[in-house]
Amino acid sequence: MTPTPEAATDRAVVAVWQLESARVVSGLLRMTRDLALAEDLAQDALVAALETWPRDGVPANPGAWLMTVAKRRAVDTFRRAERHRQQVERLGHELTEESMDELVDHVDHVEDDVLRLMFLTCHPALTPESRAALTLRLVGGLTVEEIARGFLVKDTAVGQRISRAKRTLAESGAVLEMPVGAERTARLDDVMAVIYLVYNEGYAATSGEAWMRTDLCLEALRLARMLVALAPSDAEVHGLQALLELQASRFHARTSSSGEPVLLEDQDRARWDHLLVRRGLAALSRAESVAASTGQPVGVYTVQAAIAACHARARRAEDTDWARIAALYDLLSSAGDNPAVEVNRAVAHGRAHGSDAGLAVLDSVEPVGHLWHAVRGDLLSRAGRRTDAAAAFRTAASLTRNDAERSLLLHRATSG
Amino acid sequence: MRYMVMLSMRSDVGPPPQALMEAMGVAMGEAFAGGLMIDAGGLMPMSDSTALTIRSGALSRVDGPFAEAKEVVGGYAVLEVRSHEEAVEGARRMMQVHLDHWPGWEGSAEVRRIGEPEAGPPPS
Repeated sequence: MTPTPEAATDRAVVAVWQLESARVVSGLLRMTRDLALAEDLAQDALVAALETWPRDGVPANPGAWLMTVAKRRAVDTFRRAERHRQQVERLGHELTEESMDELVDHVDHVEDDVLRLMFLTCHPALTPESRAALTLRLVGGLTVEEIARGFLVKDTAVGQRISRAKRTLAESGAVLEMPVGAERTARLDDVMAVIYLVYNEGYAATSGEAWMRTDLCLEALRLARMLVALAPSDAEVHGLQALLELQASRFHARTSSSGEPVLLEDQDRARWDHLLVRRGLAALSRAESVAASTGQPVGVYTVQAAIAACHARARRAEDTDWARIAALYDLLSSAGDNPAVEVNRAVAHGRAHGSDAGLAVLDSVEPVGHLWHAVRGDLLSRAGRRTDAAAAFRTAASLTRNDAERSLLLHRATSG
Repeated sequence: MRYMVMLSMRSDVGPPPQALMEAMGVAMGEAFAGGLMIDAGGLMPMSDSTALTIRSGALSRVDGPFAEAKEVVGGYAVLEVRSHEEAVEGARRMMQVHLDHWPGWEGSAEVRRIGEPEAGPPPS
């Protein structure tokens, strides 16, 4: 399709709307208490913008413009409902134009509105996939097509997932809420898990589809940055932001020009994104100072960010503080049962304290997955046990589903 | 996609009014909070600057202050965006703040995409 001038203006309107979407939808949700209705009204406001802005130009304050239009539609909708049923009380709370003005003009509440929306789209009643799709749709303002492209699934599948999620929320009686205490911590954990899932969906992608998957990582990064602004006194949200900024800083160095994966230690550190490194280190230091000043426990994202920071601070691979990384993995290991953590802990102990120390960590856990065997091969190889190492690399190669990784492992099996 | 927005204005524009500083603080706070803006800064006056140039195969240096009051970059922002249009909107908001809070101010914002490895080498 050839882009027409109209299409270019439409893209401009959609870009503005996406920036305002979370605020508009969450503000409407506070007024209507109805997710489907709030989304419809926000869409109506977008349609109105598409009609008006190309002619009159983008208003000075597009967010306020969208909110005003959507609010007017909400009032119309309620009036219609009132006329039809003559029992507006049934809507839960009576709404007059005056009270709605009050609700809308409470700018102080905008942050809370968006956080409440995030709690709702990441609600425990939903499956992780639905939480991710709904969050990207309503908080990120992405289109169904954009979400489908990110997750490599059909548009219809995402559309169905989103409508099912909205139905589930309505049926489960999930409400807009701002939980406190342990409940808040648990619900924030859910929100962070969704952001992390979206990020990993992009990060774990193979290089062939990298261009579109990077978008998914950046979307998660943006959500993590938003969450920090919404809940700045929760230490772990800074930890999550730090982790994602630091991981994203290695994006361009992760694959070679021929598309092969490049291991962290072999990466050209000049190709790391040093702006993101700086932002990641700053977020980590905020996580640590908020935790220290409030007595909050240091969470798993913060510990992982601290590990990533050890790599980020090393100018050369050989400068890496492996002893600190090994200690951080010990901490992570004590936080829960995660085979991937144990494998990385073995690597760190191997580097910090010698191959035997690493092999001892590996032997203390079940040999699960190709990474266990790959790391075992690496440790054996460093210990000079070539034959055993080759066997371990071959086993790892037989277990991986990633072509590029398999050829890397087979190469190591033959080269020692 | 990453963009750099460069805000240019006359070099003799003088110090910004307090109202502008406050409004820019709010606008930039929002842009950072939304994850749109990832870096920003203002540039010190041209009188403190040095220009290095190569002309006819010779490298030369000129220190400020410079005689002519030309339009120069006075501030920049780095935006991480989904589209060119989003970057333009980010820049438009900064310009709107100047329009609203610095009477008589004139200038321009240049919205430029920053080259990234996957986007290929920077164009010549």
